[in-house]
Amino acid sequence: MGEVEKVFTSGLAEKLSEDKIITEDDLDPEFAAEIIRYGGKDVMTCLQCGNCTGVCPISLKIEYKTRTTIKYCQFGMRKQTLETRWVCATCYRCYEHCPADLNPAELMIALRHIAIREGIIPPFVKVAATNLLQYGMTVRPDEAMIKERVKMGLPVLPQTKPGWEEVKKQIVTIIQTTKYDRLLGIAPKEGSE
Amino acid sequence: MTYAYFFGCVIPSRYPGVEYAVRWVMGPSGLKLDVQDVPEFSCCPVPGIFYSTDRDTWLALAARNLCLAQRGRLEVVTVCNGCYSSLLKATEYLSEPKKMGQVNKVLGKVGMKYTGIPEKSGDSGRRIFRPVSVRHFVDVIHTDNVMLELANNVKRSLSKVRVAVHYGCHYLRPTEYTAIDDPNDPVKVDDIVKVLGAESIDYEDKLSCCGAGGGVRSHVVELANSLCEDKFKNISSEGADVIVTPCPFCLLQFDNAQKTFTKRGIPVIHIAQLMAIAMGADISKLGLELHNVSCNPLLAKIGEGAK
Repeated sequence: MGEVEKVFTSGLAEKLSEDKIITEDDLDPEFAAEIIRYGGKDVMTCLQCGNCTGVCPISLKIEYKTRTTIKYCQFGMRKQTLETRWVCATCYRCYEHCPADLNPAELMIALRHIAIREGIIPPFVKVAATNLLQYGMTVRPDEAMIKERVKMGLPVLPQTKPGWEEVKKQIVTIIQTTKYDRLLGIAPKEGSE
Repeated sequence: MTYAYFFGCVIPSRYPGVEYAVRWVMGPSGLKLDVQDVPEFSCCPVPGIFYSTDRDTWLALAARNLCLAQRGRLEVVTVCNGCYSSLLKATEYLSEPKKMGQVNKVLGKVGMKYTGIPEKSGDSGRRIFRPVSVRHFVDVIHTDNVMLELANNVKRSLSKVRVAVHYGCHYLRPTEYTAIDDPNDPVKVDDIVKVLGAESIDYEDKLSCCGAGGGVRSHVVELANSLCEDKFKNISSEGADVIVTPCPFCLLQFDNAQKTFTKRGIPVIHIAQLMAIAMGADISKLGLELHNVSCNPLLAKIGEGAK
């Protein structure tokens, strides 16, 4: 255990170093396998070359290093990795520069999958998914925009026509079949709009 | 092949001017391409939200859109990098028989089935299917014939305009799927800008991210703004008149983020709007006054200033 501690105290973010001691109970040996299950690649093949951090636009701005995150995943530090996953802009620069063909951006996406299932759900995800479930679109136009559209002579938006009910029904059925609504804890409002 | 417009969510409800420009450019008054509407198209769905949280749901919803294109034997034209990467990735996922089977089980509940577009069967009597083709607006325009037509249709001179092109990440990457342009030295949008007669300037870190994607703008808006500021500094130091992008989400990001760090913003427009301006469309209908950063300096430069 002493060995693990030594590796980590050198590269840990301040927040983490407050709680320096990482015991075996904090490590999840199945974490790498879980990441693969949610569509990531095998983190154990990471060479720790640091190319991904070097090209990451986010790492310039905040204490977030792609390589470090992958290292945490290798050790199975589940709790520490799941918190900051929504800062990746999925620009895929890391993927283009990864010599191990690991696709770190997809790894972040796999971590988001796991985080959602642990109940770490950012509010905007709920808002967008609820919009889709209730209105059949994630972004909805306001009154002013609809007026502007009329002024431009653009076709009437399909989602404001009666035929859209059928589309909404299809979307609700798909989301309920994949149990996405239960995953996020959202529900279609009956008789809304 | 007939194209189908896929505008997605952001364009129709936030930047209707882009929709007008695309319809005008591709339609009878512009390049006379064969395009039609599919009113049942819904959200692509957003990769930063649905692809990030549940791949199965994402794939089923994307496959629903692809089924609609398959029914009409249409080629999907997306005007947004997000829709493009989401739908294109979905066609790749669906080329795996196992995934296709899983998705069709879900789609069966709504009476749909994704197979790809059936081709004429060969001599052996086997039916052959071709995946639904998903194209980016820029890719559709950037063909020899269309570019020639475009060059012949330029009516307004943009010769004094210095354009900073921002490609946006999902137009270029990951090259695993979206290899329509060189990821390290993309040319297509620059080419279109040049054909329109404007000058496309080079600036530092041209291919870097605007900061909006992957849910960053929705989640940590300060971080998104700060990335955009870096990009803005590089662009403004080269003296650009306008930022042109093929993605409405990058457009939204530049348009909204600029007010947080500068008073003298650079106008941002979609490539379709620039094309419509050059090809002589009615500027008052391009929705430029709906942008947060005033486009008047740009219009003054091309001699179409506010009356």
